[in-house]
Amino acid sequence: MEAIVCEGLTKKQKQLTTLKEVSFSIPENTIVGVVGRNGAGKTTLLKILAGLWRASAGNVHVLGENPFNSLYVSTNTIYISNEMVLPNSLSLSVLLTEAGRFYPRWNDDLARRLVEYFGFRGNDLYTQLSTGKRNTFNAIIGLSSRCPITIFDEPTTGMDQAVRNDFYRALLKDYLQVPRTILLSSHHLEEVEELLEAVLLLDRGKKQLYLPMDDVKHEAVGLTGRTEMVYTYTQAKTVFYRESIGMDTTYTVIKANQVDMEKAKQLGIQVTPVSASDFCVYLTRAGKGAIDDVFQ
Amino acid sequence: MLLDTSGMKPIYIQIAEWIEAEILNGNFLPHDKVYSQYTLADMFTINPATAAKGLKLLAEENILYSKRGLGKFVTPEAKEIIMDKRKNQTLKQLLEDVVVEAEQLKVDEQELMQLLQATIAKRKGRK
Repeated sequence: MEAIVCEGLTKKQKQLTTLKEVSFSIPENTIVGVVGRNGAGKTTLLKILAGLWRASAGNVHVLGENPFNSLYVSTNTIYISNEMVLPNSLSLSVLLTEAGRFYPRWNDDLARRLVEYFGFRGNDLYTQLSTGKRNTFNAIIGLSSRCPITIFDEPTTGMDQAVRNDFYRALLKDYLQVPRTILLSSHHLEEVEELLEAVLLLDRGKKQLYLPMDDVKHEAVGLTGRTEMVYTYTQAKTVFYRESIGMDTTYTVIKANQVDMEKAKQLGIQVTPVSASDFCVYLTRAGKGAIDDVFQ
Repeated sequence: MLLDTSGMKPIYIQIAEWIEAEILNGNFLPHDKVYSQYTLADMFTINPATAAKGLKLLAEENILYSKRGLGKFVTPEAKEIIMDKRKNQTLKQLLEDVVVEAEQLKVDEQELMQLLQATIAKRKGRK
């Protein structure tokens, strides 16, 4: 069954169109990464899916219903972001108790174990926490709610590396125990890619790519070789990125299924894999030019 | 085992090869139950769908068989299939790489054979 279906989803905010006819569907109980550059529309999309914002046009179905103003969807969905507002008059311990009253599948035992593991004290106040700590606490609420639709919007902002690794591992372990549909937006695809079943890449409000993770890793390859050779070889092929290295060497990223390994080898061209996160960067480069051009 | 996430080799193939190594080492015997996709996911912190793909690959190669609802088990001929596969694919590929490299370095056939024999002799001496 599909947990989330979007057809031609469009969002207009004042004069800006922040989402342009985005269509995709996410099967139940999968972990999907939502990636893209700053301002690509990740948060807008996630907020619409969580029912916080209304779509301007197109269809959105979450658990079979339009999420906006749906009590059913909001009971079964949690949206975790670094903009969460929690009352300052309640201690962390009380906040967990109150969160538990909202979510029918809340696991209080898990919440309190995580809170203890990550070094919180029950009587701490939320607003006195550092950004990283606050996001860790948010993430604990997100995991413990065990909502059938769990949305993490850049959950690891400010977390140190150790906490990030622990959070990803906790997410996977709890997902294995209680499978649910998880959306995870991140600027660090390389950190989360092993957890993901599929990745949705947004670019300036449009869906740039939505593929199983394994396919993304094998969409493109990098060719390194003498400039002339590389240019000749890549003629009439889909080039995603080109960069010259040194005097007479060019690095070119092209579609993997257009490369004949044997032929490339014969031409003295080295073929290397392109990581999913680099590939996404190449796909969403803004127009032409690079940072180096600024300094010319 | 640590997964090589930057390499050319997909994770699910690395998982399949890791199970193959376990079978070759005798850690899994014929008719033993191997790890489920969920156990593998937990062990390597990967998506269970990726682990399932690795298991499916081994089932297609007759290295594992499924018992409905019980999981995947090692076939009696698993070890033989794996050895055969490594000989015919991995070893041949490695040899091909050696020959290509030798060509580029202008190492002729005779010299290459001598190098190979010397390597074999060296390993024998060590044993």
